[in-house]
Amino acid sequence: MKRVIEKIRAFLHGLGAMTRRQLRFSLMLVGVGWGVLREAIRPNSWRRSVRMEYRHSLRAAAGGGIVSTLVVSALTGFGIVAQTIYWLNVVGMEATTDSILATVLVREIAPVLVGIILLGRNGMLGLTQIGMLTMGGQMRTFEAEGIDPFLFFMVPRALAMTLASFALGMLFSIVSLSVGYIVCWAENIVTQSIWSFLYDILRALEPRDYVSIPLKFLLSGFFVSLSCTLTGMDVTRDDDIATLMPRGFARGIMVLMVINVALTVGFA
Amino acid sequence: MRSTEPVIEMRQARPAFDQAGLMSVAYDLRLMPGDCALIRSRDRERSGLFGDLCAGMVPLYSGTLRCMGLDWTQLEVQEQWALRARIGRIAQIGAWVDMFGTHLNILTPVLHHTTTPEDQLVEEASRLAVRFGLPGLPTVAPGRLSTLDLRRSALVRAFMGDPSLLLLEEPVGPETPELLDTFLGVLTHARNEGTAVIWFARNDDVWNSYLKQATHHFLLLDEGLIPMRGV
Repeated sequence: MKRVIEKIRAFLHGLGAMTRRQLRFSLMLVGVGWGVLREAIRPNSWRRSVRMEYRHSLRAAAGGGIVSTLVVSALTGFGIVAQTIYWLNVVGMEATTDSILATVLVREIAPVLVGIILLGRNGMLGLTQIGMLTMGGQMRTFEAEGIDPFLFFMVPRALAMTLASFALGMLFSIVSLSVGYIVCWAENIVTQSIWSFLYDILRALEPRDYVSIPLKFLLSGFFVSLSCTLTGMDVTRDDDIATLMPRGFARGIMVLMVINVALTVGFA
Repeated sequence: MRSTEPVIEMRQARPAFDQAGLMSVAYDLRLMPGDCALIRSRDRERSGLFGDLCAGMVPLYSGTLRCMGLDWTQLEVQEQWALRARIGRIAQIGAWVDMFGTHLNILTPVLHHTTTPEDQLVEEASRLAVRFGLPGLPTVAPGRLSTLDLRRSALVRAFMGDPSLLLLEEPVGPETPELLDTFLGVLTHARNEGTAVIWFARNDDVWNSYLKQATHHFLLLDEGLIPMRGV
């Protein structure tokens, strides 16, 4: 009996500790997000060093992510858009093509895939950089120089990633739909022009989608960046890159999932 | 005209942490503009933590710690960042960020805290770099510089922007006599302009020739700052 109680206690202890750990990061993420927005609207925050970091981050996220986005969107266009159009034609449901593409691709898949591209390409790199700086004592040096690491790293990177996510998301949607159309057009499955094809998909979007889709892109970039940078800054003495990277990746994926599900449900 | 306020003033300042390195004992130190304190400490980490204490990065259990007349504990966070901008520092741990070039490592603090035009800052940094024996402002990553060039670059960064207080952890070694001479020249000039200096070293050899010009001489031990004779 005593052993059973001990086991239950240990289980509850583990469960409680895990819950506290998870909640701690979520609350920190919300607080840091609010802090970034507050700092972003203060003109005094936008010093030369912060502007420099913002330009560098934007170039890395948007410029550096273009090729990856183009490749993934072309594959998506080939694999999902073309197949959707083809099979809906086969079963005689071509009238629903536009709404299905608008719902599945533009509203659901594009934000997730763009978020994953940004997480893998920029978020993990940022996590490694910040984690190394924190573990190596360089963050302390920034503080000693009177430079707030939050202002210097967190604010410009989060805002740059937000903008990059929106831009890459739009690129992704247009390219994947266009590639899908081109494949079907080459196989004589569709006969209309590409403009009318894109126009039909736009018409299939509901008014709320004009808010929810950009919001998904913006929030994905914002919180993926915050999650990675915060994980990098929140290292303990026991951490190294081997423990930091899987944790950062898991948190990034979790953030993407929560944002997409919450916005889908919220705008349903 | 020089300020009559002490640049750094510790009165029974007892740091509130239990980290290894710097003991939580009461420290007393008072430096006026132009003063120079030589502090011998065999422990590099302890020197760094004492530097952090001077820069208001360590909370206090008791006592007071003022920098340029301002009590660190009474300042808002933004004011603390701004005050630290007046401190030039050479640190031994985590001093360089390899993801930026050395020039950005040097210029970032002044770019962040001042509105001085960039070309003027580059000119000042280049002039200091040449003075310390570099061919110009280094643009490669700090990890690619030799130890000596990195020392020179650290000196350039510390003296940039005419700081009011210099916290120098082993800025030069006895193995580089030319750099030592240049450093002492620049240091003396900065002191004449009103900069207070705290110079940490592991042994006295490096500052033997400068001992008479210093105003304070201490040993940093577990027991605190122990004044030494001879100054």
